[in-house]
Amino acid sequence: MISFPLLTTIVFLPLVGAAGVLALRNRDIGCRYLTIFVMAADLLLVMSLFALNTHQGGIGLPGRWMRIEDFAWITAFGARFTLALDGISLMLILLTAVLGILAVLISWKSVTRHVAAFHFFLLVMQTGVLGVFLSTDLLLFYLFWEAQTIPMLFLIGVWGHDRRIYAAVKFAIFTIGGSLLMLTALLSLYILHGRQSGHYTFALFDLMQTTFHGPVELLLFAAFTLAFAIKVPLLSLHSWLPDAHTEAPTAGSVILAGILLKTGAYALLRFAFPLFPDAARFFTPWLICLGLAGIFYAGWIAFAQKDIKRLIAYSSIAHMGLIIVGVAVWNLMSLSGSLLQMLNHGLTTSALFILIGMLDERLHSRQLSDMGGLWKTAPVWSAFFLFFTLASLGLPGLNNFVGEILILVGVFSVRPWTAVIGFCGLLWTVAYSLHMLHESLWGEPRAQRPQDIPDLTLRELAVLTPLCAAVIWLGLHPGPVLDILQNAASGLMTHGASLAALTPPAFP
Amino acid sequence: MTLLSWKPILFQLMLTGGAVFIFGVGAAAKRSSKNLLFILTIITLISAALMALFIHGESPTFSGMLDTGSYARCFDVLFAVTALLSLLFSHRHAGLQSVAGDEFYGLVICAVLGMSLIAGAVHWLIFFLGFELLSLAFYVLIAACQNDSGYEAALKYMVMGMVSSGFLLFGIAMLYSATGSLQLAASLGASVPSGQSAGSPAALLALALILTAAGFKVSLAPFHLWTPDVYQGAPAPVTAFLTTGSKAAVFAGLLRILLLTSGWLWAHCTPVLWMLAAVTMFAGNIAALTQTRMKRLLAYSAVAQMGYAAMGLMAAKSDGGLSVIFYLSAYALMDLGAFGVIATCSASADADTDALDQFQGFGYSHPWQGAMLTICLLSLAGLPPTAGFMGKFFIFRDVLKAHYTGLAILGIIAAILSLYIYLKVIVTLYMRPGAESGPAIPVEIRDGGFGTAARWAFAVIAFGVLWLGLFPSFWLTVIARMTVS
Repeated sequence: MISFPLLTTIVFLPLVGAAGVLALRNRDIGCRYLTIFVMAADLLLVMSLFALNTHQGGIGLPGRWMRIEDFAWITAFGARFTLALDGISLMLILLTAVLGILAVLISWKSVTRHVAAFHFFLLVMQTGVLGVFLSTDLLLFYLFWEAQTIPMLFLIGVWGHDRRIYAAVKFAIFTIGGSLLMLTALLSLYILHGRQSGHYTFALFDLMQTTFHGPVELLLFAAFTLAFAIKVPLLSLHSWLPDAHTEAPTAGSVILAGILLKTGAYALLRFAFPLFPDAARFFTPWLICLGLAGIFYAGWIAFAQKDIKRLIAYSSIAHMGLIIVGVAVWNLMSLSGSLLQMLNHGLTTSALFILIGMLDERLHSRQLSDMGGLWKTAPVWSAFFLFFTLASLGLPGLNNFVGEILILVGVFSVRPWTAVIGFCGLLWTVAYSLHMLHESLWGEPRAQRPQDIPDLTLRELAVLTPLCAAVIWLGLHPGPVLDILQNAASGLMTHGASLAALTPPAFP
Repeated sequence: MTLLSWKPILFQLMLTGGAVFIFGVGAAAKRSSKNLLFILTIITLISAALMALFIHGESPTFSGMLDTGSYARCFDVLFAVTALLSLLFSHRHAGLQSVAGDEFYGLVICAVLGMSLIAGAVHWLIFFLGFELLSLAFYVLIAACQNDSGYEAALKYMVMGMVSSGFLLFGIAMLYSATGSLQLAASLGASVPSGQSAGSPAALLALALILTAAGFKVSLAPFHLWTPDVYQGAPAPVTAFLTTGSKAAVFAGLLRILLLTSGWLWAHCTPVLWMLAAVTMFAGNIAALTQTRMKRLLAYSAVAQMGYAAMGLMAAKSDGGLSVIFYLSAYALMDLGAFGVIATCSASADADTDALDQFQGFGYSHPWQGAMLTICLLSLAGLPPTAGFMGKFFIFRDVLKAHYTGLAILGIIAAILSLYIYLKVIVTLYMRPGAESGPAIPVEIRDGGFGTAARWAFAVIAFGVLWLGLFPSFWLTVIARMTVS
């Protein structure tokens, strides 16, 4: 059946927009409007996917793909252009499309140099990320995976803050270095599978049939996971993140925190775990340990930060640590909790970065020591900041609470002690979040900062209000979203069923 | 011998005729305009390339000397295109600097002829002839600007070229004495007399000598030390031609030699190639890390790229060297682009714009050239969606398939190292603090100012790099049909 290639359109529409931006390169305002138009059109297309896949009782069917688009690509290698959509991809591309629009809106006033180039990279980036969330051919996936790095390098390096070059190069070398190792593993897997079946292919579902002997599987899993864990980032591979987040322009931070980190966690559960179930089981304790350690360590470091953007960057590591614990435990509840938490973290952390970007435009400083007493001068901004910080620390009724509870309950049913430790780790979140609020919003205004800070404008309210609504909605009524994620997660579970077993297998 | 029997070597005849004609025109018309010679050269190259594309002989070889099959013809086209693109870059350059007139254009054609002889040789004499013709042409071309740095570079290249020719000649002589044949296939395949398990040590030594000679020409470490000096001294368009055309030619010859070697020789060859490839990748990339001049940086990067191609040779026995050929074509495009940008932004008559600092803010002052350079650098770094990625991907696939996992991992580590080199340049182009204060390269030569010819070349290269990177299928099917006779 030949139908309209909707997923392909969604992925490549931003790229077409990028070409348009190049054509309009001398008209800044034209670039902005074109970009926002393309992003909005993309969002509409993503929304139409919801409508197309509505069945009785919800969106999507358990364990089934909603849509697959498959074209011939490089026949000599056995690589095909395959995009597939399930609930996880659907929710993540929705998040990507939404944050894409916000990224343009928040840069409306703050990006004034090389406007066309900025939007060009933003759009190319969007194509890369959407491709990562949809492709199920490993070579295609790798292509998109790398394609998101270079635009980010430019976004940080050209439009970033003082130490932007250092941060940009560090980011690029970490991520590309990791993915080059993954490329070796990917090729080894491809050859291994080709030798076994006589059919050389990069298709995920064929490669999942590969049987391994000896420690090969461990090595391959390690290489894949290394690349993904750098993006997440897992503790010990995280050192690029505080620099990149802090030095990036607001739009860059939003995309980094909101989307790029998610690609790492997504790839882990879409590729690394299903491809190498036994090795994943073997490494589960390690992943859990690193995830838990990340919660504590990053929380502790965040508490000591003086730069508010850096503080939130570290809090990202802590949040992602919990998500990884949920993924690594691999039961239905923790997995859907992790997926929901990816969305939650994307929303709240992006909102916080946006708010800090707005503050930075007014205050020209991100140091906590330059703030204080903001509640008095800019009440609307402060209210939003308070709201999103409370959401981020897991206040019941707001979105993060739901995700965290699901993860912890899911983990508790399998590994009670892990859940207990993880729960203790969350106390750190409360500690540094309240510390941040205390330093910035309350107290007396510091003498050295400008006293008359203008409050939020209409455009800025338009950016924040939808995020606010989403946070409340996910907090009070997560059911529909959770259903979509659970349907998809149960599909993942059937593929990687052996992961659910508790004891790690013995490896020679 | 009828006239028609010359048909298979029309490519070579065309080039010879063209070169002689251009020398003639240059000598006859004392003040002949360079434009006329330029156009004549372009016409010669294009028509020769068309010959190679469409005319093929019935027999696989021409009098047992020259391959006229698809392998040689495909490379002939590649060489002609390389020369053509380099010429397009040199058009403005030749007007600016005191480049000699007729001999420049004539010698470019001679060099292409030499390349086609190396790639097509099935007889050692032809191989040596091509090797010498190529070298002689480049000795002069490198000094084409008639300045001190050019002379120095030419002299260096000449000394190295003489040494490598000596190695090659000695190797051929040994091989002849060991096997009694000057045919490539017969001499390399016959090194093991039937019924014996070990071949003659003389043949082995001969192959080592030939490998050394080729190693000099394609600058495999440890024979690569001339590369940065020569590249720096030579005018940028010549460097572009030297680094792509001559290396592709010698690799084409090398690939044929290795494919024809008997199993016994090959078994002794692989450890040497393994070492050469590994050392070259690291030597090139590590040396490039600290360079502050563009041409030297690109020279070392070119050395490292040859290491990857050499790695592909390891797997050549199993797949016929497809990955090497694909990689060479990708490499030719991206290195031509990179050196081409340098060629087009050199304004003064003395030397090319070369210092990395001069390129600060280049991406903003010269957007098209900057974008071109960036694409080529990303391709050299092996990042998708460029030809360089597909080339490396193909090489790594074949090397892993051939069970050289260790070498592949070394290659990946070298590639991670090399990231910093290319990022360093990209950072300079777009992100350095002084990037907006004003370009060091005059703005006159921005965008349209660098000449229509070069703009065409850039368009072709940019298209090629992205096309090979995203849709390599077509080119893969073309080279998959090539067979070595």
